[in-house]
Amino acid sequence: MDRKKGTALVVGGGVCGIRAALDLAEYGYGVTLIEKAPYLGGILSRLDHQFPSNHCGMCRMLPLVERDQAIPQCLRRNFHHDNITVHLATELVSVAGSAGQFQVLLRPKSRWIDPERCVGCGLCEAICPVTVPDDFNGRLSHRKAVHTPIPHAFPRTYWIDPETCNRCGECTRICPAGAVRQAYPERRAFRIIVVDDELIMRDSLQEWLLDEGFTVSSAASGQEALSMLAGNRFNLMLLDIKMPGMDGVETLEKAKTVHPDLCVVMMTAFATVETAVETMRTGARDYLLKPFDPAVILPKIMRIFTDQEDTTGIKIEVNAIILCGGTDFYHPETGKNPWGYGCYPNVVTHLTFERMLSGTGPYGGKLVRPSDGKPVKKIAWIQCVGSRNSQLNADFCSSVCCMAAIKEALLAKDKSETPLETSIFYMDMRTWGKSFERYRNQAETMHGVRMVRERIHSLVQDTVTQDVMLRYADRKGMCREEPFDLAVLSVGQRPASGAAVWAKQMDLTLNSWGMIQGHAFAPVRTSRDGILVGGSCSGLKDIGESLIYAGAAALEASRLMHAAGGSLQRHPGNAKQDIDPLAEPRIWITVCWKSKDLADTVDEARLTHRLRHDPALGGIDFCYPAPDQGWQKTLAVDLRARAFNRLLIVNGQAALSETDVRGLTRLLSMDRAMVYFVDLSSALFFQGTFERESAAIALERALRQGMAYLKRVDPRAAQLVSIQQQAVVIGAGIAGMTAALAVAEHGFPVDLVETAERPGGHLQQLERTLSGCAVQPILADLMDKVERHPRIRLHCQSRIIQAAGEVGHFVSTLADREGRTSRLSHGVTIIATGAQEAKTCSYGHGNHPAVLTQMELEHRLHSQSLNLKDVSTVVMILCVDSREEPRNYCSRVCCPTALRHALLLKARQPDTAVIILYRDMMTCGFDETYYTQARQAEVIFIQYDLGNKPQVETGDDGSVNVTVFESIVGRYVHINPDLLVLATGLAPVFPTELARGYGIAADSDGFFQMMDSKWRPVDGPQEGVFACGTAHSPRLIPDAVASAQAAAMQALKILSHDSLSPGKVVAKVRTSLCVLCERCIAACPYGARMVNPDTEQVRVNPVICRGCGNCAAVCPNGAAVLEGLEKGQLLAMIDAALS
Amino acid sequence: MRIREQQGHMGNDDLGPVQEMVRSCIQCGTCTGSCPNSFAMDYTPRTMWRMVLRNESEALFRSRTFSLCSFCYTCTLRCPRGLPLTAAVNALKQLSVRKKVDVCRHSILFDQCFLESIRRHGRVRETEFMMLYFMAMKNPLLPVRFAPLAWKLMRKGKVSLQIPCRSEGRLETLFHKTAKRERIP
Repeated sequence: MDRKKGTALVVGGGVCGIRAALDLAEYGYGVTLIEKAPYLGGILSRLDHQFPSNHCGMCRMLPLVERDQAIPQCLRRNFHHDNITVHLATELVSVAGSAGQFQVLLRPKSRWIDPERCVGCGLCEAICPVTVPDDFNGRLSHRKAVHTPIPHAFPRTYWIDPETCNRCGECTRICPAGAVRQAYPERRAFRIIVVDDELIMRDSLQEWLLDEGFTVSSAASGQEALSMLAGNRFNLMLLDIKMPGMDGVETLEKAKTVHPDLCVVMMTAFATVETAVETMRTGARDYLLKPFDPAVILPKIMRIFTDQEDTTGIKIEVNAIILCGGTDFYHPETGKNPWGYGCYPNVVTHLTFERMLSGTGPYGGKLVRPSDGKPVKKIAWIQCVGSRNSQLNADFCSSVCCMAAIKEALLAKDKSETPLETSIFYMDMRTWGKSFERYRNQAETMHGVRMVRERIHSLVQDTVTQDVMLRYADRKGMCREEPFDLAVLSVGQRPASGAAVWAKQMDLTLNSWGMIQGHAFAPVRTSRDGILVGGSCSGLKDIGESLIYAGAAALEASRLMHAAGGSLQRHPGNAKQDIDPLAEPRIWITVCWKSKDLADTVDEARLTHRLRHDPALGGIDFCYPAPDQGWQKTLAVDLRARAFNRLLIVNGQAALSETDVRGLTRLLSMDRAMVYFVDLSSALFFQGTFERESAAIALERALRQGMAYLKRVDPRAAQLVSIQQQAVVIGAGIAGMTAALAVAEHGFPVDLVETAERPGGHLQQLERTLSGCAVQPILADLMDKVERHPRIRLHCQSRIIQAAGEVGHFVSTLADREGRTSRLSHGVTIIATGAQEAKTCSYGHGNHPAVLTQMELEHRLHSQSLNLKDVSTVVMILCVDSREEPRNYCSRVCCPTALRHALLLKARQPDTAVIILYRDMMTCGFDETYYTQARQAEVIFIQYDLGNKPQVETGDDGSVNVTVFESIVGRYVHINPDLLVLATGLAPVFPTELARGYGIAADSDGFFQMMDSKWRPVDGPQEGVFACGTAHSPRLIPDAVASAQAAAMQALKILSHDSLSPGKVVAKVRTSLCVLCERCIAACPYGARMVNPDTEQVRVNPVICRGCGNCAAVCPNGAAVLEGLEKGQLLAMIDAALS
Repeated sequence: MRIREQQGHMGNDDLGPVQEMVRSCIQCGTCTGSCPNSFAMDYTPRTMWRMVLRNESEALFRSRTFSLCSFCYTCTLRCPRGLPLTAAVNALKQLSVRKKVDVCRHSILFDQCFLESIRRHGRVRETEFMMLYFMAMKNPLLPVRFAPLAWKLMRKGKVSLQIPCRSEGRLETLFHKTAKRERIP
């Protein structure tokens, strides 16, 4: 595919970073993705099982169309996309410039193991003498200083942790590939000068530094130092402040005039610390405090050394920057109340518990106690550790811990060999998302997870049994003490360690808790233009929401790049394909050796002679590419002279990667499927031994296998689907309008269909949000932009009455007010039909004037038709008909709305008594602070249970009687409110009549059914249809906007091409052989297969299928086949491997 | 406001400062769970704070809950809302003194006699303190109840039988100033 001109930088390689990078790359921009850890995946590389399926589904993020641009394999192990450059172990140093044109400096951390040379043999790990607790496994297991950063890494590249390495050099000696280089030559070249008038100081420092391998000189006075500086180059000066004659401050000034770049570290006794701090303003980098402790000063000097090593950073220019730095977690041991964490072994955080459940974790997936290895029989989860805590300046909810705890409880029950008792101690169970409430009910009723609405104040350990004793007061006030084998702390979010630094570097606004502050109505925009924030960096989110925010950030970045002309083609037109894939197979083999020595171990002439028998072989080359940028071109020029149409490349430790091979394929303008790549690096060094015989055999086998593949490879190019580059957006609320505008601003025509008289949706009735932002100006601005945009055709009072088609070419029939119909032909559809307030007859609504719904109250407050003088007591009942069958979901908006109304009533008339009857307050994220504010404003909150709902009696005299059980004081209370407000929640408005035409469906609650709730959060089951706003799921305004932007981004990825190809390897069904046993449907990990009820045949959705071959393996009749990788081909490869 | 009319007879202002202290309570029960004396209380601390917020002062001052607080500060340390619970209990205790709440009579008298002894001598004179307490309690059987303990203490020389002479109170000024600051008539 042709690259577009625009470029973006994505900071953070967690799932959000990957999502944002993929979104932009699939649209065609060039993306640089950096991650400070030496691996991708962020926090999710530690979590193996995700709600609701308890599987990992990360690979579902990979491109569905044009998927051959990415490696269609496990994303946790490896990641490649043609348009994405990944820099691991790299940090952002500085950002200059402005939106559309940023100059960015990136700094790779010094790697002591060359990832391109490392073959993953593990010899270094075996010999390394340093053993430290493994943070990746929550310190439950140990690792060496040299280790693989993640257990599932592929290729298994090792990494030396510079903090713990003792630099013994054993790994350098044993590495068979020469990949370990601990920078000893560089250290020798690093010259340090020690300036101190005391001989003993100079000598001890000199000795320590020489031991570390540096080159050290010393000077006894300022003058001597300056004269030495004049003639020599030094990298670092250690300078004492108090010296006779010229003192340190003066020496520093003079030295800086001669060598402005010289790094100077002051040495000071305690008395002159202030002077030392002062010198840092005049150019000193740091100061060391006497008396010296080598354990303190050596790491500081090592840091300066590595920093200077690294200053040869990478400078790039980008149009936009997306920050996906994720979040950090609360460390209980640092707080006033540590809940025994850090002193009792059987108290773990929920991240550590996830590692305990993992097969690659400290106990191999066995559920045993850390203290004594006994099987765990009883676990308690303690919620809100470090969240919802004003004492810790954490007056927020971390949003994900409740669901995480339920998931972990179910997973633990599943993994445990013996019956397991699980209890969750919570304050409010926040099941705010789509299908969360049902999941919770199932956990409680079907799986027996015990939920206790109590907060654990602290815990102690039984000295004999090492059980964890939990003491809590139950509702009746009885104090109970209960032993558990294991206590899991659901630790809350904290700002990512880099957030404060970024805020300084890039001049961003942080919120009161140190998270990056987004715009109130466009949450991915930061206070600086061109810098976007995605994922949990602006507050913890679950996977689905994070990816929505990542997609939204990608869209905003794309909008900026497009405006700056970034959508123009970088390489116009494709080079002519002079290699004919359809001709007789002619295979050329290129074996790339790292060095001549290595090549000499294989008898090339003999090998060529043996392979010559195969008529398909065109010839063999042996080469030694130098590891620089130009070798691909040289190789391509060399190969152009040969006659061949299929290519076999062998990597004999020549540091070739998939990315290089793809680059070469592009240069040769060949189809990647016609190139077979064998990586022999690991095989040649199996177990670290290199034997001539086995190496020759391994090489020949690999070559024969590759030839077998290439001879039978399907030479036809993958089929293309043409794309109608137009979009239809159904529903013109804030989500629909946002999505439509985003698509139109990228230059594609949009038809925006709305049933009402004017666009705007429900927001027209809303004055302010909970955070106090005025809604109407924003809405008016958006409506104005939509109405004026030349590429948006707004159809009000119209509806789509009929639809058909699939991705690329949908046909919809539009009917206007008079019933006139017209045809719309479009490539993608975005559903934004919204939701409406659910109607109710409960609690006397409809029979009594004092009983209102939230919307009715909103209307009366808005229109000033409510006389507050007559209102002295207001009761609000939350969760009316919600969170119970048949509407068993949380509507998300009612709790914040109730708080907003309560605060508004209190502000207008402080004497009004406001009583809120709630089941669980769902004030997730930073809305929690308004809950606290409401309590402080004397709003009374009374919790009720589903089994004991409030009773409402309405009298003929106009009175309303509310009776509710107040569980804290343990008796019923009676209230006579003047106004009873019911929060009935949202009911979806889903275009059921169009579902079939667009290939979409409603979920059990009538909202949009997603392809995958976590990994494809806005995509429908069929590619090309997306949903956003409240039609997708109940959501607040910022979330609705973000979902609209994410949906628009997904749509744009399709619209940006005039034709698309699904993957080359796709499953097919031979219907004549199929007996409809449906084993393939169960086996498909991507949900690409289904039985078509009309034809009674198994159908494969080619866009979703990834060609894994599971279906072909389970099919008893050979009816499931993989097109592009057929049986004969595979069997021939197996034969070749066994020959 | 009707909800308030249905409860307690005391004015808002009495409990107002205490309510202000515990306003953002979320009834999580951490205070109850961590209270070492909760077993002896008739209402748990959580219920008590709820009653404070609900203005149920009559029932509140009938209960022994707040008078049993031994100022261990565990609830203050643990409270996730960071509320000054121990200070709030102290405020309730002071309120009960001012209101001369019956349930707290014993402890109020005990404290008063204790302070009286300190005021007179600058330290506690145990014998005098006991005499004052017994007289204030107006219960002739009370000394009999304490007799075994008194005997034990006297044998060990912990309590001297000498009747203290009424000397000039050295702390008179301090007490005077404190009373002025706390506006005790």
